[in-house]
Amino acid sequence: MKIRIIFIVVVVLALLAGVPWYGSASIVQFGIDALLTATLAQGWNLIGGYAGYPSFGNSVFYGLGTYGTAIAMAQFGLPFWAGLVVGGILAVLCALLLGIPILRLRGPYFAIATLGLAAAMGAVIANLGIAGRNNGLILPLFRGDALFYELALGLLALTTLMIYLVSESRFGAGLIAIRENEDAAAVMGVNTTLYKVMALALSGFVSALAGGIHAYWITFIDPGSAFDATLNVKMVIMAVFGGPGTVLGPIIGAFLLSAISEVLAAKISTVAGLFFGGVIVLAVVFMPKGLIDVGYGVRRLGLSYFVQNIRQNRL
Amino acid sequence: MELFSQIIVNGILLGGLYGLMALGMGLVWGVLNIVNLAHGALIMFGAYALYYLFSGLGLDPFVGLPLAMLILFCFGYLLQRGLLNLIVRSALLNTLLITFGLDAVFAHVAQLAFSADFRTINPTYAGNNFQFFGLTIPLARLAAFGVALLLAVLLWLFLGHTRTGRAIRATAQNLTAARLYGVNPRAMYALTFGIGAALAGAAGGLYGIVSQFTPYIGASLTAKSFVIAILGGLDKPLGVIGGGLVLGVAEALTALYLGPTYTDVISFGLLVLILVSRPASVFERA
Amino acid sequence: MQPFVGLPRFDTGKPVVGLWKPVTGMLGAAALALAGGLAVTAPAQAANTITLGAAVQLTGSLANTGRYYRDAYNLAIDQINAKGGVTVAGTKYQLALKILDSQSDVNLGVRQYVQLLTQDKVNFLLGPFSSNDAMDDSSVAEKYQVPMIQGGGASGQIYARGYKYIFGTLPAAGDYFASTIKMMMTLKPAPKTVALIAANDSFDVSVAKGTRELLKKAGLKIVVDEQYPESSSDFSSLLSLTKSKHPDVILWSGHETEALNFIRQAKSLNVNPHLLYSFTVGVPTADFRKALGADANYAFGMTPWLPSPGLKDAWFGDAAQFATLYQTKFGYAPDYHAASAVADVEAFVRAIEAAGSVNPQKVRDAIAKVNFDSLYGHIKFGANGQIVMPQTVIQVQNGELVKVYGTKFYAKPAYPLPPWSKR
Repeated sequence: MKIRIIFIVVVVLALLAGVPWYGSASIVQFGIDALLTATLAQGWNLIGGYAGYPSFGNSVFYGLGTYGTAIAMAQFGLPFWAGLVVGGILAVLCALLLGIPILRLRGPYFAIATLGLAAAMGAVIANLGIAGRNNGLILPLFRGDALFYELALGLLALTTLMIYLVSESRFGAGLIAIRENEDAAAVMGVNTTLYKVMALALSGFVSALAGGIHAYWITFIDPGSAFDATLNVKMVIMAVFGGPGTVLGPIIGAFLLSAISEVLAAKISTVAGLFFGGVIVLAVVFMPKGLIDVGYGVRRLGLSYFVQNIRQNRL
Repeated sequence: MELFSQIIVNGILLGGLYGLMALGMGLVWGVLNIVNLAHGALIMFGAYALYYLFSGLGLDPFVGLPLAMLILFCFGYLLQRGLLNLIVRSALLNTLLITFGLDAVFAHVAQLAFSADFRTINPTYAGNNFQFFGLTIPLARLAAFGVALLLAVLLWLFLGHTRTGRAIRATAQNLTAARLYGVNPRAMYALTFGIGAALAGAAGGLYGIVSQFTPYIGASLTAKSFVIAILGGLDKPLGVIGGGLVLGVAEALTALYLGPTYTDVISFGLLVLILVSRPASVFERA
Repeated sequence: MQPFVGLPRFDTGKPVVGLWKPVTGMLGAAALALAGGLAVTAPAQAANTITLGAAVQLTGSLANTGRYYRDAYNLAIDQINAKGGVTVAGTKYQLALKILDSQSDVNLGVRQYVQLLTQDKVNFLLGPFSSNDAMDDSSVAEKYQVPMIQGGGASGQIYARGYKYIFGTLPAAGDYFASTIKMMMTLKPAPKTVALIAANDSFDVSVAKGTRELLKKAGLKIVVDEQYPESSSDFSSLLSLTKSKHPDVILWSGHETEALNFIRQAKSLNVNPHLLYSFTVGVPTADFRKALGADANYAFGMTPWLPSPGLKDAWFGDAAQFATLYQTKFGYAPDYHAASAVADVEAFVRAIEAAGSVNPQKVRDAIAKVNFDSLYGHIKFGANGQIVMPQTVIQVQNGELVKVYGTKFYAKPAYPLPPWSKR
């Protein structure tokens, strides 16, 4: 059994890695974007899905990664990898310093604090000279979209591997215990503060790397795009659409939603946003527990699974 | 000194409107446990409703305002009854998602229906002002401030001192008990959301009098309402207006002393600070 | 207390494979959906067609200005085709246009430009609206070494990167106020103090930077120098601050909707400079004057373009005829955005004909050398790729747009600005 799973994973990865050779350039572009978004959703999954702390401010880490990379490259002429390291360190520092006070808050109040944090950080950067203020920074142009694609794929694969390992570990069990009942977890001897901060730092680290790759790929960044508030909502939606607190749910959610939105944008252009909104509304009504749960549910109950969902959640 | 007092007055007048924007969001959030990301879109609809009453029917904006509120009330009531009631018992994250989806739908429908052109509600007296101890008081803003205060007091009286208002609060606190006392929660939820939408409609109308608007103003107004609703304590109307005033004055002072580009640093920094520094018990109610 | 997140319980009792099976199935479904959606075949093009591509903001917050580009590109291409199309080395070609809606999302815009080049196989690129979008989108042109001519971004940043494949028909942001300041120095009473207010985005910061230097050279004193965050709707603090410094002049740079709010709020707070105020945007557009009514009077502005019959054009006759045609076809009047967009298309036609080829490198070199008169003005790109063009000072007088000053006075300016109570 185990061998079969590993085999499937290797084949899927190999197929995805080969895209730049057999796919068109548009697919590669789409891939870079979808893979980075999936990484963000996966990063959110750790803190939001497993630990049950619904961060609405992971864009703060993404933004710091973006700016760390851009400042290192544009202002100090450092190579790309050094920029990624700088961005990653900034994000982890931010998670450690700000995580402790903010992770004391629960439920929606945590969500709002993170949202506020991301907005405040964006506004701070917009006033910083070294970050080019609100005008942003220009990175050197690099003609190698295949490399960006492979980097993004590698990052997503490693992030997912990390999530898998976490979910199998004592650490992961601790996070789930925190999600289900934090006070009980603390009584049982889980160091809740340490676990939560670690989850946030890991989540922030991968988000920052995604931001760094994106910055070098797009070549021009400004606070508006790096600390984009809709990015926060996007990554949560993708994770929840697929199934939060599962290893593969967020990836599936991210791929599927990115694909839908991309196809809509290409096919029906000006009403794409309208349809995308509609898809989300229908998804929440008919599959409030995410796609992964639909997989189980439909096998068990057939189409009445959807009816049952509505029965359960309506007033 | 004169500049300082003028800035404070500007901040207070703006803050009243801010408070009204957040009033409906706080009510829906506090009572129904729905964080309505489409709240800004409802405000936008309110602005368009008043715009058409004003430019189409020639109604004075302050006469048209109750009508715009009524339109938004019906819209909100039906939205809750027909759609949001279906998911109201699922996870809070899901209410965020569905209202995010609705926000996108509303903004795009608005562009199709009203075009992307900006609009203004511009009655002849919109630019009038009067002098008061050396301060300049804009008339329209003062009126908007008065309406905001009035609506907040009315909401406060309604929630605390009428049978229906008490039923709404009871539903929020204990659904089963409310049912036992013969309250129909489906209608009650729809009523609450309708009131929230009506308040958004009022805020939108007043916003349209002091500022231009397009189908896409919703997102930034949602964010602002979010902050204020939290500052003010959700379904406490007077608190929310207070939160609006605090934010209005804080922004005005920031603009004066640090520069306008720092207003977001201060308002969101303030939000995080307040959340983090208040004892956890205050926020345990959700 | 309701649980905040009703996540599915983590079921450790389930064998691992139970988790994977539905997942692989869905992964396959996702891949299929993607393949079905994106593997669209390139549109079958007629043999003699040259396609221009653009990703323009047709929905979202910039849709209001984005439409100028869509409509102007379409009109220009129809007109050029009707007049015989493009002649490349003796063969007649028709122009075609492929426009995508970037939904006012910069990231989507970048992907769409790549799609235009790689999947839709367009020959050349036209630009989007706004400096920020042009910044990102032009890097696609540079990456793929296909020329882009854009008429939507004026920020100097776009041309400061040493890129070879980006050309622009909006004049440099830093010089927007140059003609206004020159005019100010000739007026009596002469202004002495200036309030400079600008949004903090790329374009407006460039304007402010250039204006600061121009003011210094002219010996004027800057008493207020403030930036505000873009898409602000409230200017009351800024206005009260400005009032307390009693400037003779307000020079204001930002976006149209903000200019509208600024003027309305200036009236309601009874703020005006002693002598004049001028705005980088708004004044040339009919919507703006309509929305403000009488309050728009006295506002100065600038435009690189006015629909005057003096601007001759090979395809449209002249700028006035173009404006009439545009108005009847789309139901609203064109402004310089539209004219500059038409000039972009025409510049491509001239360059392709001069190059005698549709080879991107050859056309790029030909664009660098174009030199012709159009309805937008004289088209010739500087070494960095940006056009050099003077701004004409305009003013709203009695609800009408009046051309006031270029190198000389065309009309008498309404000056000085009366206080709000006396208008």
